[in-house]
Amino acid sequence: MGAPPRGRPCLRACSVPSRAEPSRSRRMPGPRALLGLGLLVAAGVRAGGRCPNRGWDRSWDRDRERCRPHRAMHGPNAGSGPRGLRFLGQDEAQAIDQELFTEYKFSVDQLMELAGLSCATAIAKAYPPSSFTTSQPAVLVVCGPGNNGGDGLVCARHLKMFGYQPTVYYPKRPNKPLFEGLTTQCQKMDIPFLPEFPAEAALIDELYGLVVDAIFGFSFKGAVREPFGSILSTLERITVPIASIDIPSGWDVEKGKADGLQPDMLISLTAPKKAAMHFAGRYHFLGGRFVPAALQEKYTLNLPPYPETDCVLQLT
Amino acid sequence: IPVSSRQAFPLPSLPRKQPTVLVVCGPAQNGAIGLVCARHLRIFDYEPTIFYPKRSPDPLYRDFTTQCEKMDIPFLSYLPTEVQLINDAYNAVVDAVLGAEAEAAEGREPCAAILATLKHVRIPIVSLDVPSGWDVEAGSSGGISPDVLVSLSAPKQCARRFLGRQHFVAGRFLPYDVQKKFELNPPKYPGTECVVAL
Repeated sequence: MGAPPRGRPCLRACSVPSRAEPSRSRRMPGPRALLGLGLLVAAGVRAGGRCPNRGWDRSWDRDRERCRPHRAMHGPNAGSGPRGLRFLGQDEAQAIDQELFTEYKFSVDQLMELAGLSCATAIAKAYPPSSFTTSQPAVLVVCGPGNNGGDGLVCARHLKMFGYQPTVYYPKRPNKPLFEGLTTQCQKMDIPFLPEFPAEAALIDELYGLVVDAIFGFSFKGAVREPFGSILSTLERITVPIASIDIPSGWDVEKGKADGLQPDMLISLTAPKKAAMHFAGRYHFLGGRFVPAALQEKYTLNLPPYPETDCVLQLT
Repeated sequence: IPVSSRQAFPLPSLPRKQPTVLVVCGPAQNGAIGLVCARHLRIFDYEPTIFYPKRSPDPLYRDFTTQCEKMDIPFLSYLPTEVQLINDAYNAVVDAVLGAEAEAAEGREPCAAILATLKHVRIPIVSLDVPSGWDVEAGSSGGISPDVLVSLSAPKQCARRFLGRQHFVAGRFLPYDVQKKFELNPPKYPGTECVVAL
């Protein structure tokens, strides 16, 4: 999995930097398998759990009550969020995407870069490197075969810049310059690419403090092809938090999936999709701060204002 | 770049009622960066206006232009030579005319005329990478005096002669091996910020 970065001391002052070292301290007692996700994360994250909430700008204060973290906001009965924030259907999401490329002449590269940066930024806000109990802030980024995977590659690169130790698993790579370029950029930043997926959930829990789910996005339809079926089965059994990019992979983009992945964080890009109404994790961020005002109006997105020059907005 | 422009001039502090900013874009890469900056300023709720007299034929840069147009960012058809008009209409000027790639006497018109005007504005100028018209290494000899300099990737030698209020570096995205190869010794960037004040 690679040594700690050159020249940088091990964060937890352990003499052997190997991540497989079983005696490395984890603060929770007892078999990991018996602990629910909530307890595990609470023990693993600094007191207070949440990162400093820089998502609240002064102008947002009067809406604070409506934006207080509240699961019901995202429950199946919630039709809209703060200030009538709309949750998009799959067709709408695809239409907006198309319009950004054909009418507004954005390139896929541009938007993917901004999207990936948003994801890394949101992760850094919710799971700062200092909150990891693994000896390094190790993150596993699982990239799927399409654009969601591309978002994941960009995210991995920025996570590295932000002081994390990302590792990528990228089994199905499109034969296109965009993805080849992103892969090269990661490799040149010394981000390792796993030759195979960790065989068991327990191994992932041991090695990483967070998993980024960049497998499927808003274009996902139909059956899950291998190797992603097995990957998702494994991910459904891990106890470390999962941050999903745009759509929890395997979920129906509108209806969700009750017995599917249960991520702790969701980063909705551009605008949340209907699936987000079924999201029950702790952190829902909005990213992809590139939607022109005219497009927001055309689709009545009702996006809340982003704080200052931040590229992410914390919704819950 | 727009992030550092924002840090230098937070919205509430702007003297004019409308947060207007003039973005002057040259014909090459520096100008293209100016176009991207203008678009982000718009997203950040500023009111940018662009002056882009000599447009690059590069398809990527043409797309940047379209993106700005579709965001309802106006493009001036000429730059007033009457400096007071600029002082009155805008809070600040973003100088994206010439960057480090500019050769000494190459493609200077209409840049020379623009720079002559900018030299006399009294509102703050934010220069991208290199104050336009300055020699990349030696600095200025009677050229524009920006208030804020945003060095891209790493400061250029002429930045030593920068006398303005704030100097930012936007170079967080440089891969480590490039940093090492050129012995850049970049400063530490706070949190997830992409610019740092020097």
